[in-house]
Amino acid sequence: MQAIKRKKQKEKIIEGFFLICAFVAVVSVLAITVFVFYNGLKPFVSNSYPLWDFLTGVEWRPGSNMYGIFYMIVGSIFATFGAILIGVPVAILTAVYISELAGSRIGKIIRFAVELLAGIPSVLYGVFGLGIIVPYVLKISPNAQGESLLATIMVLAIMILPTVVSISETSISVVPKEYREGSYALGASKIQTIFKVVLPAARSGIMTGVILGIGRAIGETMAVMLVCGNPIAGIPTSLFDQIRPLTTNIALEMGYASGVHQELLYSTGVVLFIFIMIINLAVNKLVKAKVGS
Amino acid sequence: MSRKVSDLLTKGIIYLATGITLSVLLFIVGFIFIKGIGLVNWDFLTRDFNEKVVYAFIESNDVSLSLDEETLNGKMPFDKRYETHLEGPIYIENIGAAIAKVAYKNHSTEREQVVITYIEKDSPFDSAKDSTGKNITIGTDYILQSINGTDFSGMTLAEVAETISAESGELKIKIVQPGGGIKSNIITTLYMVLLSLLVALPLGIFGAIYLTEYAKPGRLVNMIRFAAECLAGIPSIIFGLFGMAFFVVALNFQISLISGSLTVAIILLPVIIRSTEEALKTVPMAFREGSLALGATKLQTIFKVVLPCAVPGIATAVLLSIGRVVGESAALLLTAGTVAQIPGTLFSPGSTLTVQAYYVAKEEGNIELACAIGIVIIVIVIVLNILSRITSDKLDVFNKK
Repeated sequence: MQAIKRKKQKEKIIEGFFLICAFVAVVSVLAITVFVFYNGLKPFVSNSYPLWDFLTGVEWRPGSNMYGIFYMIVGSIFATFGAILIGVPVAILTAVYISELAGSRIGKIIRFAVELLAGIPSVLYGVFGLGIIVPYVLKISPNAQGESLLATIMVLAIMILPTVVSISETSISVVPKEYREGSYALGASKIQTIFKVVLPAARSGIMTGVILGIGRAIGETMAVMLVCGNPIAGIPTSLFDQIRPLTTNIALEMGYASGVHQELLYSTGVVLFIFIMIINLAVNKLVKAKVGS
Repeated sequence: MSRKVSDLLTKGIIYLATGITLSVLLFIVGFIFIKGIGLVNWDFLTRDFNEKVVYAFIESNDVSLSLDEETLNGKMPFDKRYETHLEGPIYIENIGAAIAKVAYKNHSTEREQVVITYIEKDSPFDSAKDSTGKNITIGTDYILQSINGTDFSGMTLAEVAETISAESGELKIKIVQPGGGIKSNIITTLYMVLLSLLVALPLGIFGAIYLTEYAKPGRLVNMIRFAAECLAGIPSIIFGLFGMAFFVVALNFQISLISGSLTVAIILLPVIIRSTEEALKTVPMAFREGSLALGATKLQTIFKVVLPCAVPGIATAVLLSIGRVVGESAALLLTAGTVAQIPGTLFSPGSTLTVQAYYVAKEEGNIELACAIGIVIIVIVIVLNILSRITSDKLDVFNKK
């Protein structure tokens, strides 16, 4: 009796240990949120820099105490939007090809290629952008440098491909066969079936892929840092203008910043974090909606 | 008729899109290989990134040249860092080696340098020692800067050869070990992989065990799942910010191997939890019931029955995690630094391959070198991809039975 009790106790203790391990994820999320927000909100709470100037300023000159990130927010959004505009159609059509048109062997090869594309570290996309895309942009650009919004959009469009392809492909392949058969029975062609029946049925999965793609594009740092130009001021007005997304602002200056400058880099992180949280919540909603239907 | 045409057109567009996706991959990989392959060789993998000045002590000893002149002239070490080859090579008997003068593309001290182009068998260089009496290796491509206090700068190659020939007995030669290699980055990456897995693997696996084997569906589980999902969605620069605020500053670990690997461990958590969970779920319920029916406790069932069955899935998680660490850069840039050195302790900084690739591309504008590092990274990624395919197939086999 005693032995069994002890055994049970031991099992309970270990179960508790497992729970703690599982809880590390929760603690990490909380810690990340708390640390980033605490450091990022400090300058506004202690009034060392006005929040309004931070959010609406269009110049980032740490030397002369000017820290405006509005032009960075605009740059981030433009770059992400452009990347989605170019990358998403290509990605969805590729997913359609893999799951609807390709034979199983070719499908496998392309799937492997997409996985490989997902595995290439972002720095290498940046190196590729710097070595190929930037010089090409320079050729057609009226400006003196090739680092630009356009180059950033191109690099990001490539980078979101694997995310959107793989999630769209999964959601297309779970569309029930009966939908397709029903459509064929009504005399629709294969292409009509794909665009009128299969894609609408896979809509929410594809949307999840697109939103995750947006998340990847807005959070991307290293690749973008090499091709965006990182100007200290100015809202981009043309595709050839340089931009300075939120992420690169942090990565560029965190190494040597101190005082208010450093705190405001954390604030930049807070703004980025809020964007990401909105995206995460949207994904969560979509996934739940799908489960619900 | 018109439907046929529009279908054909749409099909064409689909093919085009797939073609774009594929060609983008080929283009990127091709670009990196073509640009970088010229720099990838054994020296590149085994040398330090920074050059190092050493004093070599050798006993002069006449060794005659075993090659004819033409072969000797052909023995210029192939190195893209040379801009031009200026003079030589000239063979010098008392050191048993040939030297030449070359101009470097971007050398930190002086452009024109005297380098060793060939070392004869049984050359005194084979038994070179440093000032503490330790053996050191000296190879072709090493730069000679002075002998017994006589500096070579400003001399022609013939004068250098004359100066060296005139010396005898013990020679003290100032030598620069060429840099440009990525040995330290490879080792730092390895350390980073090992340390972060050491932390994240047990946490992730045990966490996944809790979620699949113990937890009853409810608020707690939802919360943990949601947290893991959130972690997966946070961009790595935010992890970097957190690592900087928490590990580097609050815990005062400085920018170091330990700060970097702990930050990366958090990034790995969701990957490991998710893959382990998937693997545990594929283990048929009957296995557990069988074990429990035999009188095993829950814990025994988990460790003796369920986990062994899930090993291929966990192996996949490990492979994915390695890929993630190798590819990670933004978080490590802020927490582990950009110093190209082998970290001596947990608390010294070091840059991984990806961070180094970024550094040389951004700070030095050296695309070729970045691509050469990229080749190493891509090879690692491809190998990991293939391995994880094999391990996840193993998991499927078990279900098909």
